Formats: sequence, C-alpha cells, structure tokens
Amino acid sequence: MVNGYTPASLREALELRSRLTVTPYAGGTDLMVRPRPDDCYLFLARVPELRHIAEDEQYLRIGAAVTFTEALEDERVPALMKEALSRIAAPAIRNAGTFGGNLANGSPKADSVLIEYVADAKIRLASLRGERLVDVASFYQGRKRLDLAPDELIVEVLLPRAGLERYVYQKVGGRSALAISRVSFAGVFAEEDGKITNIAAAFGAVADTVLRYRDIEGMLLGKTVDEARALRGEYLRAYEERMVLTTGRVSAEYRKRVCMNLLGGFLETFGI
Amino acid sequence: METISRSVVRKDHEPKVSGRSVYVGDYPGEGVLVGKMLRSRLARAKVLGVRVPPLPEGYFYVDASDVPGDNNVNIVLDDTPVYCRETVEYIGEPIAMLAGPDEAVVDQLLAACEVEYEELEPVLDVRRADFAFFNYEFGHGDMEQAFREADQVFEEEFMTGYQDQTYLETQGMMAEPEADGRMFVHGSMQCAYYVHGAVARVLGCGPGGVHILQDVTGGGFGGKEAFPSILGCQVAVAAHKAKAPVRCIFDRREDLEFTSKRHPSLCRYKMAVKDGRVTAIDCDVTFNAGAYSTLSAVVLQRGIIAAPGVYNIPNVHVRGRAVKTNTTPSGAYRGFGAPQTFFAVEMMMDHVAQSLGVDSLTFKEAHLARQGDSTSTCGRYHFPVPLPAMVDEVDRACDFRRKHQEYAKPQTGRYRRGIGLSMYFHGAGFTGSGERDIIKAVAKLRKYPDGTVEVLAANGEIGQGLRTTFPKIVANELNLPLEKVYYNHPDTARVPDSGPTVASRSLMVVGELLRRAAIKLRAIWRDGEEQEVEERFREPDFMIPFYLDKFQGDAYPTYAWAVNAIEVEVDTFTGVSKVLGAYGSFDVGTPIDYNIVMGQMEGGFLQGIGYASIEKMDYDARGRIRNNSFSDYLIPTTMDVPNLQCMLHVEKYPDGPYGAKGAGELPLVGAPGAYVEAVEQALGGGVRLNHAPFTAEDTMNALMKEGL
Amino acid sequence: MDAICFTLNGRAVSYSGSATDRLLDVLRGEYHLTSVKCGCKEGECGACAVLINGTLYNSCCVAVGAVAGDSVVTLEGFRETERFAVLEKAFGALSAVQCGFCTPGMILASEALLSRCPHPTEEEIREGLSGNLCRCTGYNAIVNAVALAAKEGDGLW
Repeated sequence: MVNGYTPASLREALELRSRLTVTPYAGGTDLMVRPRPDDCYLFLARVPELRHIAEDEQYLRIGAAVTFTEALEDERVPALMKEALSRIAAPAIRNAGTFGGNLANGSPKADSVLIEYVADAKIRLASLRGERLVDVASFYQGRKRLDLAPDELIVEVLLPRAGLERYVYQKVGGRSALAISRVSFAGVFAEEDGKITNIAAAFGAVADTVLRYRDIEGMLLGKTVDEARALRGEYLRAYEERMVLTTGRVSAEYRKRVCMNLLGGFLETFGI
Repeated sequence: METISRSVVRKDHEPKVSGRSVYVGDYPGEGVLVGKMLRSRLARAKVLGVRVPPLPEGYFYVDASDVPGDNNVNIVLDDTPVYCRETVEYIGEPIAMLAGPDEAVVDQLLAACEVEYEELEPVLDVRRADFAFFNYEFGHGDMEQAFREADQVFEEEFMTGYQDQTYLETQGMMAEPEADGRMFVHGSMQCAYYVHGAVARVLGCGPGGVHILQDVTGGGFGGKEAFPSILGCQVAVAAHKAKAPVRCIFDRREDLEFTSKRHPSLCRYKMAVKDGRVTAIDCDVTFNAGAYSTLSAVVLQRGIIAAPGVYNIPNVHVRGRAVKTNTTPSGAYRGFGAPQTFFAVEMMMDHVAQSLGVDSLTFKEAHLARQGDSTSTCGRYHFPVPLPAMVDEVDRACDFRRKHQEYAKPQTGRYRRGIGLSMYFHGAGFTGSGERDIIKAVAKLRKYPDGTVEVLAANGEIGQGLRTTFPKIVANELNLPLEKVYYNHPDTARVPDSGPTVASRSLMVVGELLRRAAIKLRAIWRDGEEQEVEERFREPDFMIPFYLDKFQGDAYPTYAWAVNAIEVEVDTFTGVSKVLGAYGSFDVGTPIDYNIVMGQMEGGFLQGIGYASIEKMDYDARGRIRNNSFSDYLIPTTMDVPNLQCMLHVEKYPDGPYGAKGAGELPLVGAPGAYVEAVEQALGGGVRLNHAPFTAEDTMNALMKEGL
Repeated sequence: MDAICFTLNGRAVSYSGSATDRLLDVLRGEYHLTSVKCGCKEGECGACAVLINGTLYNSCCVAVGAVAGDSVVTLEGFRETERFAVLEKAFGALSAVQCGFCTPGMILASEALLSRCPHPTEEEIREGLSGNLCRCTGYNAIVNAVALAAKEGDGLW
C-alpha cells in the first residue's frame, strides 16, 4: 500500500521501524486529529505480540495494541483501570484507542497513563537491538517527550496484579461523556499489619506530565492510620508547596484547588 | 388531544434516517471548484496588499475587485462586505477566496498567500467600546419619583457569554452559473429569499438573475438566518469569475471561530422597592455586536423589550446598545437577545427577594403580569397569562416548593443541592410591525390534476418539522390524506416569498396563511384540474400599532410562555454541577404535531442548559476565539441531562392555525436563570451569582472567594 | 504497490490512494457514500460513525490503511437489513430525526449498542450513544426510540 505498512509480526514491525522512517499507528484516535498525510504509517493493530492480555506471577501484561474496549471486557483488568477506561471519551473512541497509543501520544491527560503511574506500572519496549523494561514515570518525560528511541516500539504495559484494590479515582472533564480530562486523580492505599504500605497519589492533566511525589508519600509509609492522621496537615502542605500546575482549558488555580480537595478526600476515605 | 396534534411519521424521516438526503456537501464533486477563504490574521488592520502565488490553470483568486455589483451584503444594514474593503475588522474576516478543482492544491496556494498589513489598534473590551451600531431607549412612568420614594434600591450587573449554534452540519453554500445566464445558489440555509436579495445585489443583476434553493439543512438555530447570505454572495462572486460551480463548506474550526453566534451581554439593572414591591426597573443593556452590524438591530430590539421580564412593574426605563468590537460579528441564535435579558431579570428578582428575606418564587409570583396588563412597550397582554398554572405544573413534576425550602437551609457536605426556577415568554413572530410592513408574507397552494397539493412557501425545513406540519394543516382543511399534500425545500424560482424562517413565525404566521388558503381551495375545488390559491398576511385587528422610534405599542401579537425548574448537585471538591433534573412547562398554543413540538422543547431546553453551564466561548487578548474545536467548545451529550422533562400547557391563540403560537425559540430562553439560581442555592451562604455560563471553575472560584 | 483491499458494504473494493487518507474522506469522495457525515474531523461528534467488523468507529479518526482486510459497513449497507427496518420504524414513530445530520451515526451507534446489549437500560442507551452529538432533539426521543427498537426487534439482536 502507498504510505503504509501492515506488519504481521513484531519482528517485521521492528524491522520496518529500524529501516524506515515510519509513524506507528495503533488506534488512530489521536494521530488522525492532526494527521500526517505525508508520513508513512506503520499499522500495528494486527501485530499478534501487541494484542494479548496475559498474566505472569507479578504482572498483568497488556499489549500495546489492546483497545480500551477489550480491556474493559477482560475480567483480569483491575477495577481501578476499568474505572478510568470507562470514562474515556465514548464507545467509538474506546473501540479504537489503545494502551500503546495513549502512552505514545505523550499527553499528561492520558487517562490510562494516570493509572499506570499510580500503580507503578512498567513499560516494555522493543527494537531489533533488544528489549527494555522501564518505569512508566521514567518513560514519560513530559509533553510529547518519551524515552523511546526512533527504532523502538511500545510492546506492553505491565500492571502489578496486587495492591490496587483500595483506591480513589476521579476524572474532572468538561461534561459527563466525550470529555478530555481537565483534572484527574488516582490514589491507591494499602496497609499490612496496621501499617501503611502504600499511599500512592497521581495527578493527571495538570502539568506537563502526570505528577506523583514519592518522597511525600514516604512521610506516611510505615505509619499507622492514627499516626498518619497526625501528619495529615504536614503531608497536605507538602503537596500544596510542591505542585506547580499549568493553565490550559481551566486555570492553574482551579486545578490546584481540585487536586488538593481530591487528595484530602483520598486521605479521608482511608480514615486519615 | 386534538386530531391535528396527533403525531405522524415526519415527511423527511425516510430520506434522513436512511442517509439518502442530499446536503450541500453531498453533491458529487466532479467539475465543482472547492472554495476556501483567505482570512485576516489580525483583529484590525489596513490591508496594504496580498502577494498571491502564481495560480495553476483552473485556479482563481477572488476578492472585492471581482464583485460585479455592490460589495455589500444586504442584511439589515449593508455594512458587511462580501470580501474585505481597505481594512479588516476582525480575525478571520474573509479577504479573498481561492477556488480550484483540487482541495489540497487550494490549501497549498492559500498557505502561500502573503498578506501585508498595517496593524491598527483593535477594540476588544465591550466596556471601552465607543461606537454603538444601535442605541435605543424607551420607558414609561415616573422613574425619578419611584427611586426617590423607594424604601430600598438594588443595583447589579449581569453578564452572559457567547453561545455557538453548533448545528451539526457546518455552513456550506454552492453557486452554479446556469446556461441561461442566471446564477443558481443553493446550500444550507434558513431564509432562501434573504440569500436571493443579497446575491442579486452583489451580482448587480436584478432579482431575475438569480435563484436560490435551500438544500437539506443540518440544523440552523438562527445561525443560518443571515450568515448564508454572506457565504452565498462569496461563492456567487467566485462562480461568476470562474464561470464554473464553486462550493465552500466550512470545517468545524472555521465555523466555530468565524460564523455569527449569540451576542455576549452586559446588563446593568436597578430596581426600586417600596412596601415589598418592585416599583421601578431601570435596565441598561449592552450587546457585543462584533465587527459588523448583521442582525444586531433586531436582536437588540427583542432583547430590550423583554428586559423587564414577565413582571408588571409600573415604572420602566430601558436603554440598549449594540456596540462594535473587532471580533467575529454576532448574530441570530434561537431566543434572539431574550435569553440575555431574561437571565438578568430573573437573577435580579431572585437576588432582590433574598435581600428582602422573602421566598423568590413567591416574590416573582406577586409581580406577574396578567391578561390586560400593559407590556414593557405599553402594548397589552391580550390573552391569558398562564404562568401561575404552569408554576403549579412544574411544582408537581419536581416538588419545587419543598425542595426550594429544604435546600435553602445550610449545607456543609461535599455534595450540595439547589433548585432554581425561571419564568419567561417569547414574543411570537417578528418584533413590531415587521410582518405587516416589511415581510408581507405570501403563500400559495397548487393543486395538480391528480389531486395532490403542493405547498408553495419559502420557509426552510431545518429540522423543526415544517415539511410535515405545513402539509398537516393543509390536509386537515382539505380532508385529504397526508400523502396527498407535500412541501419541498423552497427554490425562489418557484415559490412566493412567505418570509424568512425566523422568530418562531413559520408555523404561526405562514401556517395560518396556508390554513386559510386551504379553505379557499376547498371552496373552489374541481377534480382533475390544476388550481392555485394564494393568501397574504393580514395583521390581526386587535393589535395596538407599534412604533419603533418610540418602542410603543404591541411588540408581538401574542406570547409563548414557559416555566423552567432545574435541580443540581454541586460537588464542592471539583466544582462540577450535576443536573439532577430539568423540568419545563411550555405553552406554545396547540401543538400541530405532539412529537415534533416536544422535540423542539426538549432540544431547545437542552441547548439552554448547555448555554447556562458548559458552553463557554471567549476570545483572547488579540481577539481570537479560542474555543474553536469540538474538544474546546462543549455541547451536551446524551449523558449530561438524562432527566429532562417537558410538559405542554395549551393556551390557544385565535389567530394561529388551530390555536398554535410560535414555538421554536421559547424552550432555550429561560434555562440560564433556572440553572444559575440552582447553583447559587447549592452554594448557599448568601452568595450572589451574576453570569452565565456558570462553569465548574466559576463554582470553585465562588467557593474559594466566599469561603464556603 | 498493492492497493488497500477491504470489504465495503459486502462488496470487495481496493483503494489505490494513500494509506494515510482518512477513511471518512475515502468513503465520501471515492465511494460516494454520503450517509457518512463530516461533523468535526476529530472524533468528537460521531456523525461519521461506521461499523468495522461490526464494531463502531469514527471514520474521521481511521486511516484507510488500517482497514485493509476488514469489513466496513456504512448506513448504505446497513439500511438493507431487518435490524435497520426496526430502528427506522422506531425512530419514525417517536420523531427522533430532526435535521438528520447526526442520524446515520446515531443509527449505527444504536446497532453497535444493541448487538452488544440487546435489552439495554436507559442508562446503557445513553452511554452507548454518548459519542454521538445531536443538537436538535435533546436526545430523549432518540433514547426512547432505541428502547422501542430493542422491544419491537426482540430476538433480532
């Protein structure tokens, strides 16, 4: 075909990617808003290695070309991820949009990426040179800036299988459906033997990249809920000081207030 | 339900539902040139020159110098140029059109055009705008005495923003030179004869030199009242130069940024209160008209006539101005100036009631106008004012009075509720004596030998159902099955001028002409012959003559009435308001088709809720409209107001067909008042909200500012 | 170079233009399937919805190269089916069509919904049509029409 390749295997896709200048095309929902008609598209939707959802001991592995609709229909995908996916745009977009595409578009508003941040997901990348496994936070460096070499492709998202059961998720869009996030929040909480073992909080659509502050989270790790409650003010102040947000469709001030409210609500949900 | 109200399958249903209807963009492109605009990048500048790249054969650059007639588009005044004059007056103003067979080549050529500007200081701030296209003033009573003797005087400012019509089909027109020398212009429009007059003048050819056909039109809502005249002239000039068909279809960004939309408003209201009653109201209304006057005169007239609302206030003074700014010209949109002033007066009444410590609904009810009372322009409400009964209907539907009391109590949780109510009218038909003096509608029926009857009129089916309701009226009078009567999209070459498709007038005014024509035809009916009958508009004899220079008399023969209640739940963490329910009682007289009328009410009401809540559009410091895509300008989806309940209250109008009144615009008009009142109540703490749309961010700002 | 081969309304076609072309433009321009409407070209209105292998997509956000080997159905194809006849009748009975510009997309979104969920609740209908903007109706008539079609067409989906 003119200006396009439809590789039948990952190997073939990587060969094309290393040999030619091609634009990876997964679901098309972001790319086609500002299409590049003079580029050559590398159609990935049929590459079998990118189409699976599989489990290993530690991770749920979601192929880069798996669509949001497919993930919503898979019982292994955790509820937190499903809640975020179900609020993405509308059915026709969810039928096309993919995990790989959501990452590759490099937008801090990407709803599946927020969950990957808060879940400490890893991204598997491949090229003819070999494979790499990177943390989502290091893969995602800013608006349209990714740790992705020109010959690499995103292969799969590795989502931890345990620890995402207790969560708070909220998307603030401009309307009830068919909305791009204006602020999004995901918080995950876990405790063991009365001690907090995880209190991850991630904020989407408010800055150049998804925001998460592990050092502030650290203040509450290992504490009991009662101890954490005593640190609540200090913890919230730390976020208040750290978060420098950008103005987009809504103002930075608005975003900040919403983030702080949702963060406070997250703590309250778990008794802090 | 009366027989005429029973719903039928719409005449346009089958072709539309099966995708067979041909909209202007659906004609085959072979042999048709694609036209695209070269637009100003500056809000105000002298155009010193345009460097046009060499054009391949078959490509044309079209500008003001190609206009064979007059480079002014006739709307109300003639200040809108076809292509710009020496200066450009807003970002996006068409400087020229590039037309040619291949769209990609046209795009490249456009990108290669270089415009040399001398930038001038634009006027962008309405408060600083010093030129008013229109400046009106009227009133009655003794304002000075009323304010002097008042116990209390209240003063407040209200603002509303743009609203874009957001018809799903963008603007599009096509011009085709015909073998006989006539210019054939067709496309997406409401008013074929408006386009006809404008194009004839621009081509300098007289009315016989052009004819205009309305194609199937994908929504209008006022946005295709005047704008197609401009685009129609632009493609006609291009086709005249190229001697070939030219079609121009806007993309969504172009449509959102550069076509007319609802006037942003700034309303300063002052009320005098004595013994718990409003004794005087002083309204100072400013509309942002944008760079050219287009329809601002008539939009402003309707807006200021409605400025005191549905209330009987003895002393009234109203001033209205439509000011020029260097922005996209504002224009017609369903409601036509009235949504802005009804928002102001409903909020004002609500706020004054709160300040007086009385229930706002009780306060509003105590001031309602009644049959026989004087209108704001010293006309008369000739027919019953059914608002009290309609309030009861809405109350029954949503338990308004109880909820309104309950939500007024202090609320402290994350989620807080409020409910608001608005009451309003829509003057049916043209403002003032326009029908009698300007429009002079003519409609015809033609009966063919096979016994079928064709409606000949100029009103456009834009989704509101005229291709069905006109034939229903005629078939009813002729005792014919509906299949025997039909109404096609108008072509000015073969239909009389029954006036434009505006002002909620088509069914009430033209429908009545057709009813009378059908009675005439019934009387002379002879089988097997071709026969034609004609009817002309006659002003009802009860009307008090309207004088526009004084704003005195009956501005409208009758009114459609409505009561809306909206209940919201505000999430104080995010500022997002969820509409729990929207309830509307609407009196548009006898529904000529129940489903069609309910479709108008539900669709209009939802547009109004969008206007009140999420439909935010604004321009930046350079005068560029920023909300120019469907991800930036948000209209309601299926999920936004799932609980939308409309009811019909029927107060018949004797001079409308079977008692029908104007319907189309009414349901949009009052939503902002009801919605913002509801949000205000949910926020509590005596906060006073004064603008629409009231977005999640506005809610959060109010919460932060008021420490709520 | 090989052309892009796919099935269009049951007929095998091959497109020799660029794989990067929008499916929307190809359907309208090359194949004159004008029921597929252009409302925004950014996936935000649903007017250009089509079924690809039975699944709903916005054809403005699909490059034609992506449908090689697939089965694409537009309203021109779907209107020949019994399911369409049921939806058509329900939309007609409730006057769910006004200006008609969103209608082809609405019909195909309804088909996609009912295929997945033959007896949807009102909430499921609203969710299923949430990517299809309609400016005329306020949606009630459309939602009720889909519910009516589900009832009248029991067993078809």
